[in-house]
Amino acid sequence: MKVTGACHCGAITIEGEADPEKVGICHCTDCQTGTGSAFRVSVPIAGSQFKMKGQPTNYLKTTADSGNPRVQAFCGQCGSPIYSTTPGEGQQAAYMVRVGILAQRDQLAPKKQNWFRSARNWVTSLDAVHKNQKQA
Amino acid sequence: MRIDGSCHCGFIKYEGEADPEKAVVCHCTDCQTLSGSAFRTVVPVSSDTFRMTGGEPAIYIKTGDSGNKRQQAFCPKCGSPIFSTSPDPGPKLYMIRTGTIRQRDSFVPKVQLWSRSKQRWVHDFAATHAVETQ
Repeated sequence: MKVTGACHCGAITIEGEADPEKVGICHCTDCQTGTGSAFRVSVPIAGSQFKMKGQPTNYLKTTADSGNPRVQAFCGQCGSPIYSTTPGEGQQAAYMVRVGILAQRDQLAPKKQNWFRSARNWVTSLDAVHKNQKQA
Repeated sequence: MRIDGSCHCGFIKYEGEADPEKAVVCHCTDCQTLSGSAFRTVVPVSSDTFRMTGGEPAIYIKTGDSGNKRQQAFCPKCGSPIFSTSPDPGPKLYMIRTGTIRQRDSFVPKVQLWSRSKQRWVHDFAATHAVETQ
């Protein structure tokens, strides 16, 4: 489905095509810190279908369990997280867009939970959503 | 209890005193956008005890539903959200984002705020009182 989104201050807007079946929760400790919250909710958008206006600040995270570096893009004005992606110049293969910034977020319920082994112990009500102890 | 925390990259560090009984979840749409997630988890720390011990956060001023302005502090290098507070000087509370607290295992939310805009798939957390708005 077509998705559109913006950071809180509007400096960054995005649009693209996202498959609601691919929405996932990540309970990893990097996502808990990066959101300041209990977990992150993201959906992948293919690079060829991802459009963005505005320039996010990029943070290169190097602490992923896989060892792979990951770019975490956020709005430098308001702090809203936009996506994560692979490092490098130009269009990347895919962007993991943060569902909280999407206008259609009510239609993007997560279908899986990754890194469940570090989930907050009070997040007990998502039992119906498939769990992976680590990455899928 | 004593808490300390930092952003993901370590540029921002803080410490203070927080009461686990005051931990909350906020489902407001501002928190959903600003966290990029489904809700935010926060706990207040009084300005008496709150100390920033690392670098300076970036500040974004948001206007809440009440009309009050709120400072939203985040790390300018990695984007981790740290706290929100009033822009006014004087004694105040810093609403610390519990995902950045080292002792976050101790902070189980007791109340859900703005539950009227809760994402449908976030079912009620066990035994957590829900308030429609503030």
